[in-house]
Parts: sequence; structure tokens; C-alpha cells
Amino acid sequence: MRTDQFPLADIPGLHRVETTSRDQMMAAVVEMTHSVYPHDQVYGSYCTIQGHIDCPPELVFEYLKKGHHLEEWTYSLRGFRPTDQAGLWAGEDRLEHGTKIYCRVTANAEAMTVDYHCAWDQADTLWMIYLMRVVPAEVVLNKPGAVVLWTNCRHPYYDGNPHPELASTPGRPWVGDYWDLFYAGHTLELNNLKAILEHRHRAGLPAVTRPASVVAR
Amino acid sequence: MTTVSLLDVASYLPGEPVPAEFYTDYPGAETALRDHSMFKPPAYRHHVAQNETAVDMIEQACQPLIDRHGIAAIREVDVLLVHTQLPDLPFVGCGTEVARRLGCHPEWLIDVHNSGCASFVYMLKLAKQILSSTDAKTALICNAQNAAGQVFTQSEVRRMAQASVPGDGCGVGYLAASRESPLLATACEHLGEHAGDMTVSCEDRKYWEAGRSQVRIGFTDAKIAKVISRGNRLVPDMVTRVCEQIKVATTDIDILVTNQPNRTFLRNWHEALALPPERHLDTFEECGNMFGAAIPVTLDRAIQAGQVKDGDLLVLGGFAHAGDFAGAAAIQWRAGPAMAGRP
Repeated sequence: MRTDQFPLADIPGLHRVETTSRDQMMAAVVEMTHSVYPHDQVYGSYCTIQGHIDCPPELVFEYLKKGHHLEEWTYSLRGFRPTDQAGLWAGEDRLEHGTKIYCRVTANAEAMTVDYHCAWDQADTLWMIYLMRVVPAEVVLNKPGAVVLWTNCRHPYYDGNPHPELASTPGRPWVGDYWDLFYAGHTLELNNLKAILEHRHRAGLPAVTRPASVVAR
Repeated sequence: MTTVSLLDVASYLPGEPVPAEFYTDYPGAETALRDHSMFKPPAYRHHVAQNETAVDMIEQACQPLIDRHGIAAIREVDVLLVHTQLPDLPFVGCGTEVARRLGCHPEWLIDVHNSGCASFVYMLKLAKQILSSTDAKTALICNAQNAAGQVFTQSEVRRMAQASVPGDGCGVGYLAASRESPLLATACEHLGEHAGDMTVSCEDRKYWEAGRSQVRIGFTDAKIAKVISRGNRLVPDMVTRVCEQIKVATTDIDILVTNQPNRTFLRNWHEALALPPERHLDTFEECGNMFGAAIPVTLDRAIQAGQVKDGDLLVLGGFAHAGDFAGAAAIQWRAGPAMAGRP
């Protein structure tokens, strides 16, 4: 990139060593550093969690990219079956009785990213997106296993159901009502993922299972 | 075990308040960091006078105690503990000179030279231990901070952003084996692993050797970030620990007084303890960072202003230097009969 072509000096608010002295930078970051942070400040708009799993990263990726495993490691997603649209699965979210959830998995083996594009009640707009990335722990922590990063972004639909008419029952709570509990809820689910994969890896069992709907057939 | 009480505190600020312009208008003053909360100068601070010694300051600070409790009570103290930021004489310390001035003959006399900005808390702990385990009945603990008007007013140091932050002052505490205003608990920790990160430098000479370079106090460059993260953690940790000992939540603290290195630490500490800022008292804007004297001076002024009520849970806490000591003390404050004589 040639910076003389697009001068950075025209862009206000940059902190770069050429224009912000080390002392100024230090003073600025110290001021921004608190002892504690309110939950809303950390998890209000984005919810990112992470953890280490003592299982080879390739196996963690293989497990995550097969979306039916959500039935194992999530708290309440169950009964996934393929739909007539290729790659789209339909299941239920037992968090709220009778709630349908649709899910499409987008994975990139090279980057080891697995994104679950989901939505309650309808499959036209899959706006609840769970972004996962698997990183070899050998590289980032100098130890075996995998680091899993997991981010949700607060799509506006979390704060307002775009299709209340599709709710299973009229008074049903909305998924976004639980946003402030996502850090804790997702952490417990990440712990499930860790426990399942570490158990199977330790016992020499295959990590990957067949979808229940296929087994039933 | 004998209950020990903090019966009274008193303080002294030398001279007239020195405005921030003493530093900001000084030729060659560093200006780059002036808008940052870490280095923004407090509006005022006090400076020890040219010929004023640490012992002079302690003598002045003790006068209200003498007025309220009588000279005999102060002369009879069995324990005298003295922390001086910049000892008048490096060899001998200030303690014996303080005893001479006040006319005391304490059985226990210690020049406390560690625990820096949290030394009032450490001296509370030491006094409590001595008063509760020996025949000693009363103790006088003294904090003299006299570096601002001496080290930080030197011609070159005065230009530095950090020079405008310290202020001088002196605070003293009077303790007795008594149930009147009980010291409920103390939590103190010496953290040897953080020793040596604070520096006193005069370029290539020893501070006492002849030369032209000016003495500076600071942190090794590489350690600044570490010192900040330690400070953020240590004070809330020690305050929480002392609250756990007496089985209260940190939110039950009525009045918190800490050392006062800068506005950022003050903000972070009450945030971490979930205390509203109005319960975390400070004198930073009027007095700057008074190092070890900040706790007793702030406490005395708060009592004078009627901000500390009888029965209040008072917690004092702080950390020293680059984090080589941290401590907190909890007191159920009760103003005794002698306090009726307060202004």
C-alpha cells in the first residue's frame, strides 16, 4: 500500500507512532484502563468468549462444522433435520416450548472458522450468527489442544422480533431478552463443548457422531 | 486480645496553597500530557518551606492532638512510629528528634522506612500489635511527606509532567488500648517480588555524592505498565480482604480513604469496590499526591468537615512505591470526648 497516494494525515483521530508520542499513548491507554468494567460495557454490543480445549484443533473444527453436533454441546438446540433447501437444517430450541430454529453452517477449513447462521421461527433471514474460530493452541499458548473463539454481535432483531406473528405462543419470551445472559449461557455451552471433546479425545473415541435423524432412519 | 482504638487524627499543611501555574507557567514545562487524567495537575498543593524539616511538620501536626488531649497524654505515649518520605538526616531517621521535640520517652520508637504511601496503615497494624501484646497503653504514629517542595521544585525536575502532582503534608494518629473507636482488622502484605521497580536516580552518581544532576524519583520505564496494573489490583484486593475479615461487603464501607497517586487510580478503586465516589474521600485537588501523608491528612479533614459520622465503618487502604507493599485497615469510627474540642 502506498500511503503517499492516500495520505493518513487527512484522517482524524489516528494514534500512530508518527503523530502520538509514546508518553501520550501511555497516558491515553492508562486512562482507558480500569480495574473493573460494567457487564454492559463489555458484553452490551458484542459477546465474545473463548476457551481452551485439550483436543487437536482439526478435530475440534471437524466437530463444530457438522451442525448437528449443536444437539450435543448446546443447552437447548435439539432435533435437527435437513430441510428441502440444501444446507439448511431445522430443529427446535427447547429454551422456549415449541420454538423452531433454522441453521445453516458456513465453514472455512483453511481459517478453521465455523459460522452458524440461525434464526428462530423463520429461515428467510438467518440473523442470529454465531461466529466461531478454532486456533491451534500450540501456536498461541505453546501447549497442545485448541483455542476456541466465539462471538455474537447484537443484531437489532435481538432487541425487537421482526416477526412476532410467527411465535409459537403469543406471550413467548424473545431470544434477545436473554442477551445479557449470553456471556454466562455461552460459557456453560463452551464448557459442554470442552467436556465432550476432551472426554472423547482422552478415551480414544471418535469426536464426530452421525446426525440423530440419520441414525433413526 | 486487647482492643486497640484510633482515638484521634490531626494534620498540618505547610505554607499557602501553591497553584498549578507554579508548574504549568514554568519555562520549558512539558505540556504534552497535561490533558490526561494521569498527569493533569491538581489545582493546588502545598510545599514544605525552605528551612522547614520533617520534624517541624510533625510537631505542627501534633499540636491539635496536644490541644485536645493535653500535653501529658502525648508525652506519655509508649509507642512512637514515624514515617518520613525524605528523612532530614539519612543516618539517624526522624523518630528520636520527634521524641525530643514532643518530650516523649517511648519504650517503642521505630522509624518506619518501608510501606511508603500505605505506611499509615502499616503503622496502625504495628501499633495495634504492640498495644495489644505488651504493657504499652498509647501510641503516636506520624506521616511526614516533604518531597514535593524539595525534590519536585528543582529547576529541571519542575519541568516534568510528574512534578506538579506531589504535594507536602503531615498527618498523625493517636491510638490507645481502648474500645472507643476500635481498629477492627488490618490486612497487609509485603510484596518483595515488586521491590526495586521504583528508582531514585541522579544519572551516574550516588544520590549523596557531589555532582550537578538533580535527584529524580520514578519508575523504571519498562515497569510503568506493570505498576499501573498492580495498583489497579492491589488496593481493591486489600480492601476486600479486610472486609472479608470483618464479614462485611465492600459496599458496606461508609468512608474509604486511600493513598492518592492520581485521579485514574482513585476512579478505578471505588469502581472496583462498587462504592459511589462520594464515599471515597480524597484531597487530591487541594493537596496533590501526599504519598504516605494522604491517608491521615484526608481523614483529619473529613472528620473536621463532619463527613465521618459516629459508628461509620471507615476503611483505609493503599499501596506503596511500585507495589512492594499494600494494606488496608477497618475502623468503627467513634469520636471520643476529646473530639468535642475539635473545630
